[in-house]
Amino acid sequence: MSVTLERPGTEPGAGPAGPSPALRRAADWARRAPLLPALIFMIVVTQLPFVATLVISFMNWNAYYPDERGFTGLDNYVRVLTDVAMRDAIIVTVELTVVVVLVSLVLGMVIALLLDRKFFGRGAVRTMMITPFLIVPVAAALLWKHALFNPEYGLLNGVLTWIWGLFGSDNPPQPDWITMAPLASIEIALIWQWTPFMMLILLAGLQSRPLDVIEAARIDGASSWQIFRYMTFPHLRRYLELGALLGAIYIVQTFDAVFVITSGGLGTANLPYIIYQTFYTAHDYGLASAAGVITVIGTIIIATLALRTVSTLFQEENVR
Amino acid sequence: MATVTYDRASRIYPGSERPAVDALDLQVEDGEFLVLVGPSGCGKSTSLRMLAGLEDIDRGSIRIGDRDVTNLKSKDRDIAMVFQSYALYPHMTVADNMGFALKIAGKSREEISTRVREAAKILDLEEFLDRKPKALSGGQRQRVAMGRAIVRDPQVFLMDEPLSNLDAKLRVQTRTQIAALQRRLGTTTVYVTHDQVEAMTMGDRVAVLRAGVLEQCDTPLRLYQEPDNVFVAGFIGSPGMNIAEFTVEDGQAVLGRARIPLTTATLSALSTEGADRIIVGYRPESLDLVSETEPGAFPVLVGVVEELGSDAFLHGTLPELAEGESTESGQIVARVDPARPPAKGEQVYLRIQPGKEHLFSAATGQRLPA
Repeated sequence: MSVTLERPGTEPGAGPAGPSPALRRAADWARRAPLLPALIFMIVVTQLPFVATLVISFMNWNAYYPDERGFTGLDNYVRVLTDVAMRDAIIVTVELTVVVVLVSLVLGMVIALLLDRKFFGRGAVRTMMITPFLIVPVAAALLWKHALFNPEYGLLNGVLTWIWGLFGSDNPPQPDWITMAPLASIEIALIWQWTPFMMLILLAGLQSRPLDVIEAARIDGASSWQIFRYMTFPHLRRYLELGALLGAIYIVQTFDAVFVITSGGLGTANLPYIIYQTFYTAHDYGLASAAGVITVIGTIIIATLALRTVSTLFQEENVR
Repeated sequence: MATVTYDRASRIYPGSERPAVDALDLQVEDGEFLVLVGPSGCGKSTSLRMLAGLEDIDRGSIRIGDRDVTNLKSKDRDIAMVFQSYALYPHMTVADNMGFALKIAGKSREEISTRVREAAKILDLEEFLDRKPKALSGGQRQRVAMGRAIVRDPQVFLMDEPLSNLDAKLRVQTRTQIAALQRRLGTTTVYVTHDQVEAMTMGDRVAVLRAGVLEQCDTPLRLYQEPDNVFVAGFIGSPGMNIAEFTVEDGQAVLGRARIPLTTATLSALSTEGADRIIVGYRPESLDLVSETEPGAFPVLVGVVEELGSDAFLHGTLPELAEGESTESGQIVARVDPARPPAKGEQVYLRIQPGKEHLFSAATGQRLPA
């Protein structure tokens, strides 16, 4: 993505007769030249790998069959969309993203509404609520897998044992959570990590709520629920959209949680995991690249919507 | 329609010792337009927000008609408020903004639509009903805020500086429109402003507040002609009243060469107080340019003359002030004939028209009998 920023006054012909064109061009380059090294570096590290991936996605390139390397056109894309494992991965990715985004949005909103009230120790509680988002994703996934879901020594089954113990039973149910609900386990871990993110965005939205409008609604006779329904929620709509889109961009790319908790087994392999598998296990570079390109296209579509939301948000702030 | 009564109502903000509004006693008659006026921080907005239910009432009570609303929520008080910022609902159209309260009250769609149309007609907003607030000009937004209030037909209108976001010309125009609208609807109105011209032109009565205390509440004319104390005297009127501290000598108030004879009533009030000083106020238009020989004439050095066309104001100083008399006491503003304004630097003689001076106690600032 490239953005050109130009001062309105420097447009040719805009201002009064300035210096000669040659001089102006020299001045322009004097400003641009120092930026060039950084620009070139950025293109090399971000754009070239993508171009390479794009090229490879049109190639038949498998490390196990080095002799068959060559261009095959759209073959890899057709395989991505028709391969059962790939199609399942797409469906899993969509399901994972939708469930995690929606549930963490709802939870984030409830927590944000609670944290928007004044109470003693609000700052401390707010900081604690944010911490899950600050944990390294792999560490969080390991924490859920071993400290919580583990059937032998996990916290969940420990709690069950304790509750059953209260009633004098020494035979509590000890379900194997990850085997029972593999995708749900991943989703819960991700929701735990992403709720604080949604909460932060929505809390920012809540605190930018104009107070006088709420007061006007109260005088107009609205109850607390009606104020939420007619004032707060419409105000939060943009923030909800923003949270959903930003969250979706990241959650589509989830790899850590799937890799750590289920290793893609039991129908939990999503697109990033399948790409990883195709690349490192099957060594089918062409197919992996094609799947990667499809993921990128999907993400760009979401990102475009996200950017549009952000810009309307800023426009509304300006109007106020 | 209803009266509004503040009965020793006080508001003390948490963490503050001094009440923002201190034992306010005020009675607003049915259908009256009462203006609360005062410098910023005087508690006028707080008083209004207490009536609106947006601020707690820490002591005393407030009644609307016979109902004690002290502990009622805003939504149960049957009031409508116009905010300084208008507080329009940004995501709703003008029609939805105006109809919101009716919708909350569970009125039928047809009734809402008719009442919104009626209000829009009164306020000349019919063509904007489908627009969002951000597509309106400042004056139109102000009218929508008014519309939102009148659609509800409440017992009391509350207005919190509704004109302060308009430009000067529109403000004067809207000022008369609001006053006319209130007369037409006959709804009891409490209006807050810091602009004393607005207060004087709009209010049936004006309540002057300072530091949370009600200084005086009366008709605009009586506030102007008979201010209860030095603060009201100085606050009401533009340009302000000349106020200076005079010494009392031989039954006269003396400052420099200015001498004002005092009546026996004033002198006896002063002697019970044991004061040898008195505060004298006189309005710019109570001064006449006279010749030196006229009794009561005193010299003034002309500093600046402001010529406004219809009026001319002379800003000058009293020369020959005695030691210890502050130079501020010697500042004088006088209205002079715009056809023959005196020149800058000239020395002229002024005289206070007999009986037009206002006398206040130097100790308490209260009005003394003349």
